[in-house]
Parts: sequence; structure tokens; C-alpha cells
Amino acid sequence: MSSAIAPFADANLSHQPEVLLVDDDEVNLLLTALALRERGFSLVEASSGEQALKLLRDWTPDIIVLDALMPGLDGFATCSALRQLPGYENVPVLMLTGLDDDASITHAYEVGATDFYVKAPQWSLLAGRLQYLLRASRTRIELERSKSKLARAQDLARMGSFDWRRQGGGMLLSPEALRVFGCGPQDPVSLRALLRMVPQDERRALLRLLHGSLRQNSVLATDVPIVLFDGRQRIIHVEAEPEFNDHGQYAGYTGILQDVTERRHAEDKIRQLANFDALTGLPNRRQLLWRAERALDQARRMQHQFALLLIDLDRFKIINDTLGHSAGDELLVEVGRRLRACVRHSDQVLESGLEVTGARSHRSLEAVGRLGGDEFVALLPEVLDDQDAARVAQRVLDALREPIIVSGQECFVTASVGVAIYPRDGTTVVDLLRNSDVAMYSVKAQGKNSAAIYSPLLAGRGREKLETETALHKAIEREELVLHYQPKVDVRAARMVGAEALMRWQRGGRLVPPGDFIPLAEETGLIVPLSEWALREAAKQARSWQQAFGFADSIAVNLPSRLFERSDLVEHIHQCVTSCGVPHRVIQLEITEDNLMKDLQNVIPSLHRLNEIGVEISIDDFGTGYSSLAYLTTLPISELKIDRSFVRDLGITPQSSAVVTAIIALARSLGLRVVAEGVETLRQMEVLHRLGCGLMQGFLFSRGVPADELQRWLEQTVLPRKAPWIGAASAIGPNPVDPDAVPASGRRFR
Amino acid sequence: MTGVPASPGGPEAVVPAALDAVALDKLRELDPDGRRRVVQRVLTAFESSLARWLAQLEVQRGDSHPATVNHIAHTLKSSASSVGAKELAQACADVERRLRAGETAELAVDVERLLGLGHSALAAIRAMLRA
Repeated sequence: MSSAIAPFADANLSHQPEVLLVDDDEVNLLLTALALRERGFSLVEASSGEQALKLLRDWTPDIIVLDALMPGLDGFATCSALRQLPGYENVPVLMLTGLDDDASITHAYEVGATDFYVKAPQWSLLAGRLQYLLRASRTRIELERSKSKLARAQDLARMGSFDWRRQGGGMLLSPEALRVFGCGPQDPVSLRALLRMVPQDERRALLRLLHGSLRQNSVLATDVPIVLFDGRQRIIHVEAEPEFNDHGQYAGYTGILQDVTERRHAEDKIRQLANFDALTGLPNRRQLLWRAERALDQARRMQHQFALLLIDLDRFKIINDTLGHSAGDELLVEVGRRLRACVRHSDQVLESGLEVTGARSHRSLEAVGRLGGDEFVALLPEVLDDQDAARVAQRVLDALREPIIVSGQECFVTASVGVAIYPRDGTTVVDLLRNSDVAMYSVKAQGKNSAAIYSPLLAGRGREKLETETALHKAIEREELVLHYQPKVDVRAARMVGAEALMRWQRGGRLVPPGDFIPLAEETGLIVPLSEWALREAAKQARSWQQAFGFADSIAVNLPSRLFERSDLVEHIHQCVTSCGVPHRVIQLEITEDNLMKDLQNVIPSLHRLNEIGVEISIDDFGTGYSSLAYLTTLPISELKIDRSFVRDLGITPQSSAVVTAIIALARSLGLRVVAEGVETLRQMEVLHRLGCGLMQGFLFSRGVPADELQRWLEQTVLPRKAPWIGAASAIGPNPVDPDAVPASGRRFR
Repeated sequence: MTGVPASPGGPEAVVPAALDAVALDKLRELDPDGRRRVVQRVLTAFESSLARWLAQLEVQRGDSHPATVNHIAHTLKSSASSVGAKELAQACADVERRLRAGETAELAVDVERLLGLGHSALAAIRAMLRA
């Protein structure tokens, strides 16, 4: 008996066994009862079969001792009768018979007695026999109990056992095993019927496996898909081992089977979740990287090229932001579907054993997957040349050409595709991914919606850009940024009427020109903190000059349109000037004509508010963009700056003086101040002056210089009237279109 | 000791001749200190059952039914043996064996013999109980 059921046995041993003793002879009854009580039994006596059966109606003894020969209902009839009572099928019954009474012994077994005992006053022997019967009974009860426990456990685990005999007997299934197949305990189920449950194509493979095991007498362990009689599909795990008879000859198989459908589904689900993107159903990053590693192995071994295409959607963020995330998701699903069709996409989850599937098996690695966000990757396990990969890239671009309907709206999506090819563009998956990324970014930089194959040239550019970007982030806190100032000059009066602040970056002892970092700052959004810093700095400088030489004009700061869209711009400027104790008008804002017109609707409210607090607005690079004249009349602006390109050609091409004349006329009629930029020669100055523009800026007067240098320039050049332009300007004299005709403060809007 | 009648109130009748000492010792072993009066209870039970069976045997005199005689012999056999009435027990066994084998020729003699030995045993039991 195993230790698991020992407690039951102990419980039974500690309990005094209850015996029903039935004998019609008083002396025997008395003597036997006395002897058994003496040996630890608890006795209930009955003097006839009838009395015994009556007692058994309300009480169940552990064992019954019956005298065989009794008047009326004798021992045999009593035994027979009690075996019919519910619950008495297995209670041990000991029949007391005469010494040489073969017939009685046989009869005793026939009526269901457990054992017999020849009547004799050998009490110890009788007690020993009773103990033996009780122990056997307990063992049997425990066995029954554990058998039913096993059956219950097997039932819960959807498990059952079976035996298969080679000769005769065939397939024997436990009731639990039958239930696994959806059959009742009485249903006859043959091996043939079971095999018929297996779908035909799987059946052939299974039969091969079975025959193989039989031939080698080997252990069998396999999962078998079946279709039950009611049409349900299940997966049955079968595990069996061969059995040998006493002569060591193979006799059949014994084993267990289990319905593992749920477990298999759960495993499939886990594998699916681990390897596939939940949104698009495409392989995820993990699966892609895994496939890429395998493709790399294969390409290395078989010495062919393989390609990674990094596909990044253009402007996806805008779609997401304007139509909402669920629309964005919808779009990604459709894009995924289209991209899939561009390659020989394989959905197979591959985790191991690629080698066994043949030389061309790397083809099954081919797939489109989603790296995350709006980034997809196409993995081409074998390409002949760049053109091969380029063709797929083109297919990708073409696939996105048709509009995608999301949330009832037609959306046009384009993508930028970067291609990297093993081994030329990298010998590890990480390198290939990085370089396809570099190629993809080069497409973005050149206007998107195209594909590019990686080249080391791109990488150099990319790396430099990355470094610059990182350094620019730190430039403000490291105080590497400075403002230089270029004066605006009234040439007739020979005086400075303001200055334009120009941002410079002192990076490691070198001055980085604005053209090298302003576009990057715009692209990365760093332009916002940069501009805010410039406004603060300009306000401080105005204060400092005010104290130094009574500066009362304004410093112009260039702002990108996106800053005008910020609701806190006015507040920020207000803080800058008030903290320095200077009036709002010391700050003038310059916005390029292009920038202004691009975001006109968003910028206008800001312009009005700025104007209200006294901050003037100047339009930079005027004449190069596409201003709507109608708008221009209503904008709260104070100044137009003639683009340097027209100034440069003055006196060279007649067209340029025509444009300049027109701008001046326009400004005059709108009551705006005009400033000419990029004035480098006296001749340009003279022409401008003659055309009616007296406010200028340019190298002729001063380049952009540090603040203290500007002060020196004023003190040493302008005030002593020493510069050549001062003399020239005086010589020209007043002009019919004198700039003084326009109020110096420009037009103020309310 | 065959044929020795119990002498009523015989002085040496602590163990009357008709009862076997070994069997009685076995009975006493069931109740070594005699507190439960086992010997007395068994002897009393045997006395009443023997008297009943003897009365039934009287009925069989002259017109005997083998089955009835057989049953009486079978029952008396083991209880007689238990209390040490060896001759009676032996006679019962003989009768039972012969009757089961279908030998009924001696039935009347057997009945007489059982009655004789039975009464003798009854006297011995009574003598013991009175002692």
C-alpha cells in the first residue's frame, strides 16, 4: 500500500472492527463471541439468518461471520440475500462450515462468501482469518478509491489509457479514453474506427509512424489531429510503450492518450503573440530579426546576397494626429496588407530546424514585418543584384499609390524606402538595419516618397548630422550660442536706426554659420528653445546698449513661423522685456515672406497681439515669395525688407531696379517702412537712395558683429562720420521719394 | 470413561467424568480470573440447548427422520466438543457422517445412543453447575 493511502489504513486499524456473528447454536455463538471480543473485535450476535438481515438494514459491519447450517434461512441463503442489499456487494463474509464438507465450501463461494472457515475452537486462527479478510477488504477499498481518483483525474485532464494487444483483444480503451473520443463507456471503438477520425492526409503520416514504431518496438509519442463524430476537431497526444510477455516476446502496446487541443491552442496563441504584430498580423520585430539572422546565415553559407528594405511611411504622424489613432491603426493594417503582397510573404513561424527543410528553404524566410510604429521591413533572403531589391522597393511605392480609405476618408500615403544589401552594406543584421535606416533617411531628406540604396556617402552625412544635432541640444546650456548684430542704417542721416540680431554658434573655437545649423534646428524642433533664447538675449542687449549709449531703437530677431503659432510667444516676449526693464518696442520680429505666407492663417492672430503690445513685425526676404497683395493690406506689419538678390543686381539688370521700385511704391502706399538688405557697394546705395529707399543694411556699413564691436563701430566710425558711405550719402542729398516721407516708426496697427 | 454415569453430588465431581478437562481449561482461558463467569454461562447455555435437543430426539424415537437427526447431531457435535462432552461429540460426528453418506439402517440405534450419551452429559453439566 502506498504511503498516500496509509492514513486511511491507520484509521481503520485504530478502529475496533465490527463483526456480525450469525449462528443458531447458542453455545457456539456465545463461545465464538467471547473469543473474538477477547481479541479486540466488537461483536453483534444474531441467532438466525432472518435476524441477521434485519440487523443489516440499519447497520453495516466491517465483516460478517455466518454459520452455514441453520434452521430457516441458512448461511448460504443469508449470504445470497445480503449480497443483493445495496452497499453489501463487497463486505467480507466468512462462512463457517463442517470439517469435511466440500459441497458446503463450493456452495459458500457460489453464494458470494469471501472465504470459509472450518468450525473449531481454534480462536486465534479464526481471529487471524478475520484480520486477513479485513485487511484485504481495506486494500480493495483503497484500490477502488484510487482507481476512481485516477479516473476522475484522467477525466479532468481529458486523459485516458489504452491497451493494444498484438494477437486478439485488439484495442482496449478505458472509459475515460473513450470519453476523450466523445464515446460512451459501452461504445465499441476499434483501432480502425479511431484511425478513420484522423484526416486523410495526416492519416498516412500517422500510419507510417505507427508501423515504424511496431517494427522497432519503440516508444510512441505523437500528437494526432482528429475529427470527432460530431465534427469537432481535436488534437490528441498519444504516448505508448511496447509490452513484452513473460517470455520476453513483444505482445502489444500500453499507453495513455490526452486531448491537448486547448494546450496546443494556447501554445499557438503564445507563439503568435511572441512573433507577430497584433495589429497587422505581420511578423514583429523579434520574428523579423530572427528571420534576418537565419537569412544571413544562409546567405553566408551559400554565398549569395540578401536585402533588407526599411519602409517608413511619410507624414504618418499627421494622419494619426488629424484622423485619430484608430484611423491610424486602420491605415497601418491596410498598408501591411498591401506590403505583404509585394513579396513572397511567408507566415510560417520559424523557430528551429531550418536546415532540415532543404537548400531553398531560406525562401520561406521572405516576409514583410512591422518593426513598430509606421516602420516596416521587407526581408528578401536572396537577391541577385541591387536591381532585384530596387524592383521590390518600387513595387512597395507603387502599392501605396492608390488612396487608402480610413474613417470614410481617402488618404494618400507615401513611403520612404531604404535598402541595404548583404554583404556589401553590412555583415550583421544590426549593421544592415542601421544602414537601411540611413538610406531611408536620405530619401526623407530629399523629399520622401522614393527609395534609395545605402552608400557609405550617406552614412557620413547622416553621422555628421547626428553629431551636430546632439551638440546643438547642449549648445544653449553650454552658452555656445551668441548673437551678432548688423546695424540698420539711415544713410542720409548717417545714423543707426536699429540692428538685426543674427545667431551664431561657437562650437569648439569655430563659428558655425547659421545655414549649417538653423535648418537642422528647424527640423528637430530645437528652433523653439533657440528662438526663445535669442529673444531673451536681444532684450538684455537692448538694455545694455541703452545704458551704454542711449540706444532707443529696436533689435530685430528672426523667428520661424512655428514660433508665431505658439500661444505663449507674446507672454514670453513680455517676460523678456520686463525682466530687463526695457519697453516692448525694443524687440522687432522678422519673419520671412515664405514663412509668413505658408502659415498665414495661423500666424495672423499672433501678429495682431504682438502689434498691440508694441512689438513691430518686419517681412524679411520680401519679393521672393508669393505674397498675396490683398493680405498684405490687412496685415499688422510695419516694415518690408527688400531681398538681397534684387539689391545685388541693382545697376546691372534693369529688371531688378524695376522690382525694387515696385516694392518701394507698394510700401509707400501701404504706409510701410522699407529696408534694403545686402548693400555692399556705394553704387547700390546710391541707386537705392535715388529710388526712394534710405534705410539699408549690408557689408557696406557693417557685417554682423559682436555687441561690443557694434558699439565701437558707432563710436569710431558713425559718430565721427568717417566712413566713405557717409560722405557719399551726403552728396546725394534729399530725394523726391525721401524715406523720411514715411514716419520713422512705421505704420502702427490697432 | 465410557458409560460412567454422573454421580449426583459426587464429592470428586469437580471435574465430572463425562466432561473433558482439557476442553474446560480452554473455556477457562477465555476468562482466566473467572470474573465474567464464562464457564458457567457456557455450561448454562449448553444445558438448556442440550435439554431442548434431547426433547426433540425423544420425538424421533421409533419414527426417525434422518434429516432432523442429522441436523441435531451436527449442532450438538461442535457445542458438545466445546464443553468437553467428548463422547457425545464423537457420537454426533459418527451419526452425521453416516447419515450424510446415506447409511440410515442404524438410525434407531443411533437415536438411542445419542439420547443415552446426551442425558449422561446433561447430568454431568448439571453436576458441575451445582458445584
